[in-house]
Amino acid sequence: MPDVFAVPVFVIVFRESIETVIIVSVLLAFLKQTLAGPGRDDQVYKKLIKQVWLGVGLGLLICLVVAGGLIGTFYTVGHDAWQSSEYNYEGAFALVAVTIITPLGVGLLRIGKMQDKWRVKLAKSLEAPISTTGSKAGWLKRFAEKYTMFFLPFITVIREGVEAIVFIAGVTFSAPATAVPLPVVVGLAAGILVGYLLYKGGVTAKLQYFLVAATCLLYLVAAGLFSRAVWYLEQQKWNNIIGGDAAELGVGPGSYDISKSVWHVDCCSPEFNGGGGWSVFNAILGWTNSATYGSVISYNVYWIFVMAMFVALRYKETKGALAIDEGEECTRRFHRPG
Amino acid sequence: MALKKSLLIASAAWLSALSTLAEAATVTYDFDVAWVTANPDGAFDRPTIGINGQWPIPQITCNVGDRVVIHLTNSLGNQSTSLHFHGLFQNGTTHMDGPPQVSQCDIPPGQKLTYDFTVDQPGTYWYHSHTRGQYPDGLRGPLIVHDPKSPFAGQYDEELVLSVSDWYHEQIHNLLPAFISKGNPTGAEPVPNNALFNETQNLKVPVRPGKTYLVRMVNIGAFAGQYVWFEGHNMTIVEVDGVYTQPAEAEMIYITAAQRYSFLLTTKNETGANFPFVGSMDTSLFDAIPDDLNWNVTGWLVYDDAKPLPEPAVIEGDFDAFDDMDLVPFDNQTLLGEPDQTIQFDVIMDNLGDGANYAFFNNITYTAPKVPTLYTALTAGELANDAAVYGEFTNAHVLQKDQIVQIVVNNLDSGRHPFHLHGHQFQAIHRSAADEGTFDGSNATMTNFPQIPMRRDTLSLEPNGNLVLRFKADNPGVWIFHCHLEWHVASGLIATFVEAPKQLQETIKLPQDHLYICAAGHVPISGNAAANTVDLLDLSGQNRAPDPLPAGFTARGIIALVFSCVCGILGVAVVAWYGLAPDPGAAGSALQANGSSTDDDGQQGVLAAGDKSAGAPVQTVQTLVSAAGR
Repeated sequence: MPDVFAVPVFVIVFRESIETVIIVSVLLAFLKQTLAGPGRDDQVYKKLIKQVWLGVGLGLLICLVVAGGLIGTFYTVGHDAWQSSEYNYEGAFALVAVTIITPLGVGLLRIGKMQDKWRVKLAKSLEAPISTTGSKAGWLKRFAEKYTMFFLPFITVIREGVEAIVFIAGVTFSAPATAVPLPVVVGLAAGILVGYLLYKGGVTAKLQYFLVAATCLLYLVAAGLFSRAVWYLEQQKWNNIIGGDAAELGVGPGSYDISKSVWHVDCCSPEFNGGGGWSVFNAILGWTNSATYGSVISYNVYWIFVMAMFVALRYKETKGALAIDEGEECTRRFHRPG
Repeated sequence: MALKKSLLIASAAWLSALSTLAEAATVTYDFDVAWVTANPDGAFDRPTIGINGQWPIPQITCNVGDRVVIHLTNSLGNQSTSLHFHGLFQNGTTHMDGPPQVSQCDIPPGQKLTYDFTVDQPGTYWYHSHTRGQYPDGLRGPLIVHDPKSPFAGQYDEELVLSVSDWYHEQIHNLLPAFISKGNPTGAEPVPNNALFNETQNLKVPVRPGKTYLVRMVNIGAFAGQYVWFEGHNMTIVEVDGVYTQPAEAEMIYITAAQRYSFLLTTKNETGANFPFVGSMDTSLFDAIPDDLNWNVTGWLVYDDAKPLPEPAVIEGDFDAFDDMDLVPFDNQTLLGEPDQTIQFDVIMDNLGDGANYAFFNNITYTAPKVPTLYTALTAGELANDAAVYGEFTNAHVLQKDQIVQIVVNNLDSGRHPFHLHGHQFQAIHRSAADEGTFDGSNATMTNFPQIPMRRDTLSLEPNGNLVLRFKADNPGVWIFHCHLEWHVASGLIATFVEAPKQLQETIKLPQDHLYICAAGHVPISGNAAANTVDLLDLSGQNRAPDPLPAGFTARGIIALVFSCVCGILGVAVVAWYGLAPDPGAAGSALQANGSSTDDDGQQGVLAAGDKSAGAPVQTVQTLVSAAGR
């Protein structure tokens, strides 16, 4: 069994693909809910769907290229080149993902309330030619906004895919090569199935509940991501201090910086050996067996920020002179600043 | 150069030995210990600890029965120092043994101390600083005790002293803090930069044909054990660590840090070629082998200066070194009787609460007491027999006069460790091969002790193996038992034996200069390990090892986790609250909408919106929100 099916590889692929498909399926469901249907903005819908899939496709392509390059590098230069700053990349990817997810969540929640306003705005922003008044930074922002539907899946696929590749590469050093392909395929299939169910559920179940549930999940993931981003950056520093990959030390003493530790248990690591079930726990809830001041504080700060944001939004909505306009402003703030 | 000098000293001493014969002499040295610059491997000039402006430091040479007096001045300026005379019994002079906080105080910069003792044992020894990690910086040299009555006298023509050692380009006071730090959680010991013969490389040893030499080999290195062989020549071992042995032929020996071998080496009758000899550092001790490390050092037996110096042949496969357990002491001393006291030490490496890696005997990592242990023994009165007064972190054991003591060392670590006992030559009665686990006293194959066991003062313990030693507590004093890898001395692999404390109190009178350096270094000289002179069993304030690593969730971890969970749940609740709250702008319309809309209604609302023209969306929102709001 271990010779043909490396369980850690399966878990890694499954976990990474779930993270990806949650976001992709939510996007697709959202687009379908808001834009699909005869007589509506079919063109825009198709265009955005295309963007999503383009993002997924390009992301996958880049992953494949990276995988190819990595395999090449691993077997020529040795595997240390990437590993030496692996966590910095992970941390950066996670931070980018959080900054995208956070406003997206607001958008998701407001779909129900503002569906058509939102749709119109979205359509406008996607259709309308870019205004010429903005500065360079403004242009970049607008560009990113215009292609949100592309960038989000794109970044997500790259991040998760590269993470999966790196993890698999790491795991396969201790597992026979024959044990890799099958769990990769099964993991992907299982992940896509979950995504499909989510998507199906998303379009047929009661929309608002689905959106709220999906958003809650999304924010849970985002809080975990934010915490992990900090954790990754700290862990990279620690790796640099000890001059190696702390994960090679397992989960015992030395795998973490004691002076920054809030808790550490010598088990249940989401990183070590693929992480098993703990990596799923980690992906969804941000669990870590080795919490640092940075990771705990960032997790809580993120939630406090999110809570404050929604309370403020609600306050504006209810106390604002013209709720619809306020809502529109909020929407604009998050989706089309200025 | 270095060799020539030691040869000269050796032969001079030899002559004086012959002329004075049984007459005990006093050999006096003035040692001014100070920094010099040295570059023994030709790679790097570095500050090195020399004596009287010279490095390598002089060899101490005397005859059996001589009194040796060393006036030491510490001119280092930035470091304390001390001298230990490795292997000497220091019978009646335990306070001259050297280890700071064990039998003396460290000698602070600018201070002087006189070591004064009588040597009643023949053989090959060495002397070195016993101050924290210091001797690899250069303060290490051979100490040779000539014996006119040697059983091998007359069997050799000349004597050679040959040291092997390892060399670091970085100073120890830079290496040590990095070694014992959270940044080195695996406790990887710094790897030497080079190996040396007689503190140099490419050593040429001029030899004459058809002669027999007594080669006294000392490993004065900090860390690396070395495999040593002479191409084309055999070694006939006749002494280990000051114990004469029945002659034993060897092609290759393994000499750990601090061990000594004397062997007879007979040269060829012709001078047609020169022969290389090689010291090869035991790389199994190194966690990682740097790419640029040359772990071999080569010297040559030079028969003819005009002939080339051939490169040594490469040895394929594993080294097959002579097993020192096969040696038989020349005096045929038999196995000591059943032990009165058996002490077991389990060796482990682990991390403490500061994140650094430490070495432990029985879960205790040695932490020097506030008062040197000898001074505690001298001032504790009756309680000197109670091991508790020596502190909880010194691994102290009290031995009574003439007890037979058995030490069992179980290596629970995967590294090789050379263990050294001060003040004694122990009988090595059992040593397992690597990976044989712990010693089992009920296992007959393990307790099948030899009738005439090999004796020495430093013995190598195999990875995950065990060894059993026996000695008679016939030398009152405070003696430490420790791993002689200098890194592990620093990380705490030390135990303390307080041998016959009552006799010590009756016989030892501390010289004034010993007390003076304590005062100069502000080291208390009486009381228990915590310097408590009133209640000797009250150890509050003693020097302690760092606390263990926190196990899993401490209070702070639980609070953090609970807070995070609460925050997460609250956050999700807020998201849900916001998501499910009715849109106030649509509130009026929502009231008009169908209040009892079901899932299907909601869905229809959305789908229905699709059927309508662009003017319809507001209607859709109302329907949807009302559905969601319920």
